[in-house]
Amino acid sequence: MDYMSGLCTFCGTGCGNFLKITDGKVSGVFPMKNHPVSKGRLCVRGWHIHELLMTDQRIGSPMIRKDGKLKEVTYDEALDFMFEKMSRYKEDASTSTGFLASPRSSNEDNYLFMKLARAVFKTNNITMDSESGHRSSLDVLYNGTGMAGMTGSISSISKTRFILVVGSDVTRMNPIIGSEIHMAQMAGAKVVTICSRSSQIAKLSTSHFQIKPGSKKILLGALAKIIMEEKLYNAQWIKDKSRGLELFADSLNNIDLKEIEGITGIDYNSIAAIAGELCLSESAMAFWSTGISGLDKETVSYIYNLFLLAGKVGGEHCGVNPLTGITNLQGGYDMGAAPDLLTGFQKIDDPSVLQKFNSAWKTELSPTPGKDIYDLLGDPSSGLKALVVADHDEGIIRYKKEIEKLEFVAYIGTYLNPFMDLADVVIPVAGSIENDGTYTNTERRVQLSRKRVEPFNDVYPGWKLFPMIAKKASTNWDYSSSEDVLKEIASLTPSYSGITWEKLEKNFGIKWPCNEKNPEGCEVFDCASNKEVFSFAPVSGAFKIPAPSSGYPFLLITAQGEHFWHQNNIMKNTYIPQREYRATLLLYPNGYVEICKADADALKVRDKWTVKISSAHGSMNVDVKVSEDVKPGTAYIPYFIREMITEFLLEHKQDFQKGEDAIIPIRIEGV
Amino acid sequence: MYLIEKDKVMTIADELAKDYELFGPVVEKGTGQVFFNRVANSGEINLRAEIPTLPPKATVFPQIETIMKYRYDKDTKDVLIDPVFSDRKKALFGLRPCDLEGMICLDRFFIGQEFVDEVYLEHRKRMFVVTNTCVAPFKQCFCVCTDSGPDAHEGFDLNLTEAEEYFIVDVGSEKGAALVDRLGLKKAGDEYRKIKKEIVDKSISLFEEIATDNKAWISRVMNRITTGFIKEEVWEYIGNQCFECGACSFVCPSCSCFNIEDHNKFDQSTDRLRSWDSCSFEGYSNMAGDHNPRKPVEDRRNKRFFCKLSYSQSKKYLRPGCVGCGRCQWVCPGDIGLPNVVTYIRKEITE
Repeated sequence: MDYMSGLCTFCGTGCGNFLKITDGKVSGVFPMKNHPVSKGRLCVRGWHIHELLMTDQRIGSPMIRKDGKLKEVTYDEALDFMFEKMSRYKEDASTSTGFLASPRSSNEDNYLFMKLARAVFKTNNITMDSESGHRSSLDVLYNGTGMAGMTGSISSISKTRFILVVGSDVTRMNPIIGSEIHMAQMAGAKVVTICSRSSQIAKLSTSHFQIKPGSKKILLGALAKIIMEEKLYNAQWIKDKSRGLELFADSLNNIDLKEIEGITGIDYNSIAAIAGELCLSESAMAFWSTGISGLDKETVSYIYNLFLLAGKVGGEHCGVNPLTGITNLQGGYDMGAAPDLLTGFQKIDDPSVLQKFNSAWKTELSPTPGKDIYDLLGDPSSGLKALVVADHDEGIIRYKKEIEKLEFVAYIGTYLNPFMDLADVVIPVAGSIENDGTYTNTERRVQLSRKRVEPFNDVYPGWKLFPMIAKKASTNWDYSSSEDVLKEIASLTPSYSGITWEKLEKNFGIKWPCNEKNPEGCEVFDCASNKEVFSFAPVSGAFKIPAPSSGYPFLLITAQGEHFWHQNNIMKNTYIPQREYRATLLLYPNGYVEICKADADALKVRDKWTVKISSAHGSMNVDVKVSEDVKPGTAYIPYFIREMITEFLLEHKQDFQKGEDAIIPIRIEGV
Repeated sequence: MYLIEKDKVMTIADELAKDYELFGPVVEKGTGQVFFNRVANSGEINLRAEIPTLPPKATVFPQIETIMKYRYDKDTKDVLIDPVFSDRKKALFGLRPCDLEGMICLDRFFIGQEFVDEVYLEHRKRMFVVTNTCVAPFKQCFCVCTDSGPDAHEGFDLNLTEAEEYFIVDVGSEKGAALVDRLGLKKAGDEYRKIKKEIVDKSISLFEEIATDNKAWISRVMNRITTGFIKEEVWEYIGNQCFECGACSFVCPSCSCFNIEDHNKFDQSTDRLRSWDSCSFEGYSNMAGDHNPRKPVEDRRNKRFFCKLSYSQSKKYLRPGCVGCGRCQWVCPGDIGLPNVVTYIRKEITE
């Protein structure tokens, strides 16, 4: 039998697949029919992951930079070199040393990477790379419910009666979850999408609120306000099981429902109808995506508060559900790849937690949370000198100039990546199908991905490599497999405490929390048996709606496209998705901005003509794509061209931090 | 027509394994999923397994394969070309009739026209095919609507039909006759023609309602698709549900679209690869000079159903392109497997 079962490790959906292995090499892929998440489906990326896994664009040997060039060396030489250099920063490691973890690494590799940073190199400066939104969602959910993850589950999408999709085009980002939502809609569930663009999921929804850009939050607030005013919520349940409604209700005072149509473009009656349906529906789920096109913490808070008010945060077929774009983004946070976290969202400044880790790791950890690596890089006086990077996902490196100025950079990765150009030492590590490992998908499902081929060029798996680095610091880590690492994770992590290798081998994963109380994990967050009260998320109550002006008459929204995932760094090693990417480039060599026909006519431009886009912060040239998917006054850019990001979008860091899904007022001119 | 005892049927496979690489339906242990795959011995083959998820087309048209290697020497301007052909002899044992019909469509596309695809021909020409009559349909099967089952009519060397204590063996070629001769199978009496017909009729009676109900409708829909009478809104409704994953084409026994890529390697040599492709992709129909005759997704979608169900296309295959296996239905993230498309079009006709 040539087909070996396993896990698609592309996005956070966590679909099941088979890889065809011929003579020890990958030669095909096929969907898995009875996998509980994917049920026989794969998306365009999943259907071509074998092309990526066949690539020879791999790091085949450890390398040290000598006279400006990377030279191949042995593992021992590379690790000696790395340790010798890193030792120099030992004294002030908490400011001088940083670790950038990867959402592509397995739980075990992320855990060891995190342990290496804190226990061996004595720094808490560790950040999850390639993400800019999931942590905000986790914070909102953790503070509100005590659970830092999706409260619902993918497997119950088909059974829910009401689905709210906020922003993301889920059919492009997490297509199989989009498929589940579509199937639910076909079977009679009500699907409501709030999005300024007529995306595919918007077209497949029962109702599409094509709002004016930047008015998501106030629309969510209006839904809540109507529920409050019409007393559509279960007052007793809210009184018994929640706290903080008063503050949330106060924030809604700033919304004048008479003006809501003018602000959002959606009339009061339509909003009121949806508010009623949400409350009366026996079950409901909300979905939004994380990442650059994802939502800010305030908007996530409004989604959560709206669902808490409607009594749909937990319970059967309910849930508030952030979607992860990269395979182990959720798992990375579960493994404590954040300045202030240890595993399972345990806080490093909690003395009892710290003591547990200190005695298990036989070390003395610093109780002071570290700093975000990108904050350190952005601050010229931060004192950051050395950086260790795991498997960088993107083609673009943020703060490249600042990283070039660092004294020492180590890159630990599987595939060739531009980050290697910045590294003093490069250390290869086995890829996802070359090593046993667990991955936690967006619905908290911890799944086992078995080794399916031997490592490329005999490079080492993580459970072997990281202890070798620790050994250089005279620290003995005793693991002989990934399973050993998982055992240690389970022993230190309450939400993973019941997870064992044997359980994972028997089925298609376990959804944490898995512990003594829930030995088989938890399908959904259970409100009934949860004695704690839920907290409404604190919100500012400010609704600043970006407004077009005569100088900048368009509002620009941005998103990731399907085939140009992460600036095509991964897809460039495939054939068909790469061809699709090129097909788009052929038509729009500078990337494109979508505007409607009326706007194009007013600007006197045609499809494929180049225009100049200017904002208060910068400008760039892109091509016009005339599309009826956007309304007049709205411009949409899927970002996939390097220059679009480095020279334009990254200049708008403040806008992205401000949130409101990064709406940028722009001017468009013919060139 | 011959007979072989049930417990001896694998001797046919064993005999074939002496001369051929043996392929057949295999149940994957961990998941229970069925693949049509190469086996080390006949013991791995399960003739009662449900229709394999992976169609046997992969044996003649692999998901990705190297069809040529070349090296260009910049100094001497010499090109060394090394065509890669498969000279493996393959025996496909236990093929479902619909999948054989699919392969016959592929034959007509790759080698039945003016241009003969040598790579495909080399895969195909040393092949021994043993089909297996479906004594009961599987979920989502609708071969009764597309004239491709539940029993095979042509193209096999041998065909097996499970009867009470025997397998009835039909001979479809000289190769098949020679094998039957070598194994010394006993001749079946005339009554077995009737027995086989009863088995097939019973199988037909067991089809789910969607298949029996759609039987007449598929030909009406073919008519509609051919004459272009389907409203644009219907194609748009179908197109909106296309996630552009390509799965329907990949699992289709008769889909033949492929892509060619030259993979340049570090050592200056190049592998020319051929891989499965799909008309649902925008880049597939992209032409030089930025033209794309099928840019909107609904145009790409209806192209596929044209290919499966129009008369003009059927003239090429000498049958409808759809063989009624139902695979496109379970891999589709939208809800536009072929039987559903027929249903949508039917709804439009009746409303």
